[in-house]
Amino acid sequence: MNGVSYLLLFFPIVLVILVVLEAARSDDPKSILKRALANLGVLTAVLVLGGAFVYVINRWF
Amino acid sequence: MNLKISAKGVLLVGGLIFILVTMFLKKGERIKGVAFFVGWLVPGAGHVLLGKWKKGLFFFGVLGATYLFGMWISGFRPVSFDDNPFYFVGQYGSGLTLLIAKLRGAEKAIIRPGLDPSWFDPGLLYVCVVGLLNLVVMLSVLDAKALTGAAPAASAGPEAVPPAAAPASVPEKTA
Repeated sequence: MNGVSYLLLFFPIVLVILVVLEAARSDDPKSILKRALANLGVLTAVLVLGGAFVYVINRWF
Repeated sequence: MNLKISAKGVLLVGGLIFILVTMFLKKGERIKGVAFFVGWLVPGAGHVLLGKWKKGLFFFGVLGATYLFGMWISGFRPVSFDDNPFYFVGQYGSGLTLLIAKLRGAEKAIIRPGLDPSWFDPGLLYVCVVGLLNLVVMLSVLDAKALTGAAPAASAGPEAVPPAAAPASVPEKTA
């Protein structure tokens, strides 16, 4: 449950951080949302790949 | 007693920020220094002061909602130094969150009844992140582009468009 709750709370806070950081440097709402979502996708991919890597290491090595 | 010391500390830090910013800015740009200080007091208020209403309200809404969600998880108790020293310091990024924390005055945050205990730490993290993000919002006020959308400046006309660059001369081919 611990890991699941962390995952549930990961997306809102990361999205808030990315949106505020983008809004601080840009005025166009479309580009803010686009870049924030793109960065969220990259960070999520890194999280998933890292998790998969750790799982594989722990499972077979 | 502790509250008095804390209040003095907050006033001292706020005053130092205000003096430093106003000292190092040019005369015409001192409004940015005031906006920087006001932005620390209330998230987004600096942008509102510079005439960027939409952006200021957006920052206030996003940061306020995140703060309320974090406080809801942690039972509307502020982050104390015993909970997590790093998260505690993060609260100082915004005067409003700090004021609420001081007014609530709880010794230690507790998890909201009915929630999984593992949500406690992320709840504190949410409160801390709001303070840290407000520092970024404050710094964006000092950005040179911050005044471009301000109402008084915008009334003078659209941004000066730089003259079109002269067409690049095609280098002559040498035989």
